[in-house]
Amino acid sequence: MECERLASILLLSRQSRITRNAVLTVWISEWTARLRFVAQIAPALVALAGCGQYRTDRSPGTIQVDIETSPTSTDPRFATDATSSRINELIFDSLVKTDRNGQFVGHLADRVEHPSPTEIVFHLKHGVRFSDGRELTARDVIFTYNSILAPESMSPKRAGIEQLKSIDAPDDYTVVMTTAHPYAPALEMATEGIVPAGTSLPSKENAAAPIGSGPFQMVGYARDEAARLERNPYYPYPSGAPRSILFKIVPDPTVRALELAEGVCDFSGNNIEYDVLPWLGSHRFLEVSRTPGTTYKYLSFNFRDARLRDLRVRRAIAYAIDRKTIVNTILRGTGRVATGMLSPENWAYEANGTTYSFDPTKARQLLDQAGYTAGSNGMRGLRFEYKTTPEGARLGEVFQAMLQRVGIELTIRTLDFATYYADIQAGSFDLTSLQWVGINDPNSYYMVFDSQKTPPHGQNRGYYSNPEMDRLVEAGMSTVDPKWRKKIYGQVQQLAAEELPYVSLWWVDNVAVMNRRLVGFDAYPNGSFRSLATVTLSGPGGGGQWQ
Amino acid sequence: MAPAAEGSGSDPVINYLVRRLLALVPVALGVATLTFAIIHLVPGDPVVAMLGETAAPADIVGMRHQLGLDRPLLEQYAAYLGGLAVGDLGESISYRKPVSRLIAERFPATIELAAAGMLVAVLLAFPLGIIAGSNPGGAGDLGAMGFAIVGISIPHIYLGPLLMILFSLDLRWLPLTGRGGLEHLVLPAVTLGTALAAILARMLRQSLIRVRESDYMRTALSKGLSARSALVRHGLKNALTSVVTIIGLQMGALLSGTLITEIIFSWPGIGRLLISAIGARDYPVVEGCVLTFAMTYVIVNMATDFVYAIVDPRVRIS
Repeated sequence: MECERLASILLLSRQSRITRNAVLTVWISEWTARLRFVAQIAPALVALAGCGQYRTDRSPGTIQVDIETSPTSTDPRFATDATSSRINELIFDSLVKTDRNGQFVGHLADRVEHPSPTEIVFHLKHGVRFSDGRELTARDVIFTYNSILAPESMSPKRAGIEQLKSIDAPDDYTVVMTTAHPYAPALEMATEGIVPAGTSLPSKENAAAPIGSGPFQMVGYARDEAARLERNPYYPYPSGAPRSILFKIVPDPTVRALELAEGVCDFSGNNIEYDVLPWLGSHRFLEVSRTPGTTYKYLSFNFRDARLRDLRVRRAIAYAIDRKTIVNTILRGTGRVATGMLSPENWAYEANGTTYSFDPTKARQLLDQAGYTAGSNGMRGLRFEYKTTPEGARLGEVFQAMLQRVGIELTIRTLDFATYYADIQAGSFDLTSLQWVGINDPNSYYMVFDSQKTPPHGQNRGYYSNPEMDRLVEAGMSTVDPKWRKKIYGQVQQLAAEELPYVSLWWVDNVAVMNRRLVGFDAYPNGSFRSLATVTLSGPGGGGQWQ
Repeated sequence: MAPAAEGSGSDPVINYLVRRLLALVPVALGVATLTFAIIHLVPGDPVVAMLGETAAPADIVGMRHQLGLDRPLLEQYAAYLGGLAVGDLGESISYRKPVSRLIAERFPATIELAAAGMLVAVLLAFPLGIIAGSNPGGAGDLGAMGFAIVGISIPHIYLGPLLMILFSLDLRWLPLTGRGGLEHLVLPAVTLGTALAAILARMLRQSLIRVRESDYMRTALSKGLSARSALVRHGLKNALTSVVTIIGLQMGALLSGTLITEIIFSWPGIGRLLISAIGARDYPVVEGCVLTFAMTYVIVNMATDFVYAIVDPRVRIS
């Protein structure tokens, strides 16, 4: 009908332009009015259908934090993944914790003493209470550690405290840890979250999350959906701080960004794609915070391949990769070119090591010296397989292009994470890139470079072996004197930079995107969520407070 | 309306149903065997995924023994089939819960999403198909088929966020993610149903064009019926048979589409459970989810055969 009417209007042009324009104007205004009416009633219709202005289910004082995966365990005795650790940190207290510089400071322990190289005494604070009101005593600490050590628990944390010879409680507020030998990183063993004595092991009959003495308690958890935390009523908290935190599991990175932009999500830490950061930053109610991080990204070699055992080849690869450009472009500046596993914030960081700035000419020279001369097509008959996950494929392509420039062929094999991880553990790769998260004590070098620590005994996945490195990392582990340890680890870092079991790529910045209603967020270099307990909420915030 | 029964003695519908249900057994066996073989043959260790790389080797061995993963594969297969025979899908390695309970918790969400996706597909496809088929080559046909091409071409992973940007971020009508009331269902259902709508619309158009040239349509027109009335009253019903068949066959695509849609919209269904189980190499959960998807597909196709008999009187259950 309307088409016929429009046609008749247009036909009017034969009769009179003025008449035609007048009728056309009326037709347009009619339709404009209709469209306006539709636009006005559409929200009402949507509302009638139950699709009204969406309200979040957040009550006042609740903040939403989007996370990419479910925590694997709500019990600190079993949680090893980063997501679980970050949530559990808000629920469970440990004897000591690390400060912003990675130094151990008392947490449940008021005072820590080292009466001998194999003994640490923790004097507990009085009046610390679990969220059910019970007071936390040394008995709970002993119970927690014994339940980790019990063979039937099969706790993945057992290997981390295997140096513990005994743990005793002379009284309710004193805990004594004894190691079989002097063990320098012993305080790392004191970072386990404490659960009340008698807490049963997780099982199909008991899926409830244990309680802790930290600022929050878990009041609800649906795997793959969300975890809800509410304040521990016995833990003092500043006025204006969040009363509850909803950790929502949102696997898609684009959707996490959209939830921030809509204001549904208040905070997202280290799980937003670099490409969307400028767009998020353009929202006035969002703040993009970048702080130096300790997460270390590296390129690993497989030393069981004779070609990669040749130091000249490894160095050529190091010189061929333009890390600065990658950081500035792909990472959009959210990283620092790394010189080693320890970042400058670490007390044992060594600044004087061999560095490998981008120099393709030098890379070609080294490959020539190693006997891999370039053919007519510029390639040198060096072909390596780079294994990666879908998320790392883009970086693999960059390495591929950069290595091709110096005559090395890199084939990329993209695998799902479980397959990839199995291959890496089995030593089935030539080159791969991974990252270490949460490096604190330099004893990490022992786990990744000692020749005895190949899988499944450790994480020396590249099968690197150097007696000098073994001697140093073993000495660093058993030397308690911090001055000596710093000297030893200085040598370890220099040797690693010289020998290149890894090519150090970059230290990843901590990137947090948060609603500006969160005030006072203090970023930790290890990406901890700890300060979510102390931020204050200023007003309703922007973007999505549907009321 | 029940499918017509013919003859006397035992009810052919019941006979048919029993036969089809019995046919489910070899299908289930085949699916179970294939899934078991594939998930056990690909690399990856559920115990390492659960305990982590830092776990003591003795604990890894102990856990493997506890879960029965150190037994010969054939023995594990026999145990799995033995469990299936009594309706036991086993226990999840990472959730430490019975698989049947995990699936039961999430199945309603997936069915809700798939049914809503189907509804959206049908609601979009019928008007578009009728508009296109009633005047081939006209403006309506061009518009409807333009939609169909776009609908088929846009992957869920792209359409979902686009809809989110428009309806959640800009218009603020609908929530972005999660499962809740009807408002939570709209965007995932549209994302899931659009591609199917496009396929159905094209199919309906073709069928309508075919029936327009039939003798009975000419007869209807010669009786004085308008073209629209003839098409709706006589042509549409005949055109529906092929569309119903396609709906059944496309159920597989719809169910597989829920995997991606559930990830995009953080929808707590079986798709998300399956994806995370594959990552964790949680064998019993993967096997249970795939079996559930396969059985749903087969049962929906059985139902389609019944509907086929309803819309086409020439088809009889026997």
